This record gives sequence, structure tokens and C-alpha cells, in this order.
Amino acid sequence: MTKKTSIKLDYSKCHTGASTDPRECRKCLFVCDPAVFLMHPTLEKHPDPHNPEIWRVDAIWLSKCTGCMKCVEVCPEKAITVKPGDSLAIIRGF
Amino acid sequence: MCEWCFKHGDGGKWYNNARLYRNELADEYNAGEYLEEQWKNMETLFIRKIMGFNSIGLGYKMQMPIIGRLIRKVVEGQIHSEKENRNPVRADGHFGQVLPLEDAQHIMGNLAAEPIIKNYCVCRWMQRGVKDAVCINFGQLSEVIEKHTRYIPEGVKYRLDREEAIQALQEQNEKGYVASVWFQPVPYINAICSCESPECGGLRLRNDFNLKTVYKGEYLIDIDIDKCEGCKSCVRMCQFNALRYLPSVKRVIVDLDKCFGCGVCRHACKHDALNLVPRESIPGQAGKY
Repeated sequence: MTKKTSIKLDYSKCHTGASTDPRECRKCLFVCDPAVFLMHPTLEKHPDPHNPEIWRVDAIWLSKCTGCMKCVEVCPEKAITVKPGDSLAIIRGF
Repeated sequence: MCEWCFKHGDGGKWYNNARLYRNELADEYNAGEYLEEQWKNMETLFIRKIMGFNSIGLGYKMQMPIIGRLIRKVVEGQIHSEKENRNPVRADGHFGQVLPLEDAQHIMGNLAAEPIIKNYCVCRWMQRGVKDAVCINFGQLSEVIEKHTRYIPEGVKYRLDREEAIQALQEQNEKGYVASVWFQPVPYINAICSCESPECGGLRLRNDFNLKTVYKGEYLIDIDIDKCEGCKSCVRMCQFNALRYLPSVKRVIVDLDKCFGCGVCRHACKHDALNLVPRESIPGQAGKY
């Protein structure tokens, strides 16, 4: 049975207007070697990309996470929780 | 030559066909409208649901026996789509291929429609958080991107003439970025990217999930073992982990199954030991894109 990696971001801590704006911060994106995170505008209605309120960071490529926990350490808001599981490479037998 | 060459090459490689760069062709396929919609919110591509699935945890979903096969069929079908009413926000018909610097420069010098611009790589911005103005776009796409100021590099001349575009590709390729050419949508060609793995959306799907969103190049690297002095300089250039140094024989070996034929490793070789050869000339690799 595959144990999936779970990465949760607490958006009450990571949001525009918090002490660190995610679009200015970007520390988790920079530190993640397999580039698991994605910074994007939300999908609601027709988002206006010039509105900073609609930008957020999500963990997308969960199966590429190797569980190094560097994002957890680097996040100034302590907004990231990682429960490491099996990466795609591990599942494929590496 | 791959199937795109047979369909759209008119006797040569698809990306060498001048017809596919023309404004008239773009109009025929309503490319302007498509690109307008696609680039409005390009960064939302991977979180959009496609038939109930978005890309979150895609690797796990692809491992599921039936669902995995379904996702492969749907994603590859979309990227390769030539149907009418293609959905721009899903990047239907946004297919690309890796190509060596010479071919990319030939396109910029002779084929690309003006205006030519350079803009921030969307992939690198949304996945790594860095602004890197390395994407060369041309034709109707330039005019669309110019409207979206967040993609336009600040404080530099971003409209390029042909010579400047050729020079930009040279510098980016020498840095280690892989040149790739894109339909947007098939068969209109309007972009040459300088990609980096793992941030590149296309290479991500190809390398990590083996989805044929990007084809390997028309070439492969050939190591002249008499000339290789084992300096290992080329190894650090490869984005695809195709090159490795063997201490026992004091030379570099290549894994042709991983080689994309981008030719970027050649910039590091001081001994003229690395050369591109046509993919078709290697029996085990011919036709495998």
C-alpha cells in the first residue's frame, strides 16, 4: 500500500497581509530541490492577477517530495506541515 | 523525423517549416484568441481540474492502474490535440520538442515572425520563485504577452531584433538551459524556451511522469572516446542525468535512453569530444522521441 506524502499549508498564517507576503517570501519555493511547490492565483471566478490577495502557494508534486523538511524549517510563519510518505522513485523500486 | 514532421513538416522537420510561423496560419486557427485566454492566468494551469482531476499528487494518481491509464490518455490527447474548440486554459495543443542551439538560432534568424520579445519564464517564477527573462516568444504571442506586465522584464529592452534573439539563445544555452520549440496551439509555432528541469512544466511531465508532452530532440550526443580526456566538465551541464564519469576508464559515458539531444553539454567540452548525431542514425534510438 502506497503511503502518500502529505504537505499542508496553513493559509491563516501564509497569506497576503501576514507579516510575510507569500509572493515576496517565496522561501519554500527556493529551498525545495525537487520544486514541489507552485505559486498561483486562485481559481475563483476570474481572478485578477494584479490583485495580490488572490495569490497563494500550494504543494503540487507531492510524489516528488523526498521528505527533507527544509521547507518546514525555512518557513518564517511556520505554516507548512509535511508528513513524508513514499516518493515516486521509492514506489518504482529505487 | 517524428509524426509532427510527417503531419506538418512539408518534407522536413516540423519546426523548419516556414508556413507554421505565418500570421495567416495563426488567423486560420484563431491563435490570437486562444493565446489571449491561455496567458491571462497561465499560472493556474496545474491546479485546474481536467475531467475531475488536477495535477496535485499527479505521480500518485498515475500509479493507480485504471485511473493512471485514463489520465495518460487524456493529458497526452490534450497536449497533442488538433481538434477545433481546443481549451486554452488547459493548454490543449501546446506541444513542444527539445532542439539544439543551431536549430533554435536558425528559427530566430529565418523563420520566426516579428515582433520578437523575451519575457520571464512562467514555470521558473511559479515553481522556483525566480524571475528569469529567458523565454523568446514571437509572432502573435508577443503582442498577447506584452499586455500582461507581470511577464515583462523590468528596466531592460525586451523587444529583440533577430540578432539579439540569436545572441540571447547563445548565452542561455551556454549557461546550461535547454532550448525547446513550442506549438501554441498546433500547428502555429511561436515560442522558443530555455528550459530548466525540474521547474519546466513540460519537462516535469515528461521526465517525472513519462507523459509525452515534450519530445526528445532529433539528435543524440556522440562521445568520441579517443578525444574525451575525462575532465567531467560536461557532466554538470546535463539536465537529464544522461552523462556520467567512470573513474576506471577515465572517461564520460552517455545513457542514450536519457539523452534529449539538446547539445548543451558541448559548451563545456574543450576537446571537441562531444558531437550531435541524427537520432535516426542510431538504430536503437531511431523513432523514439
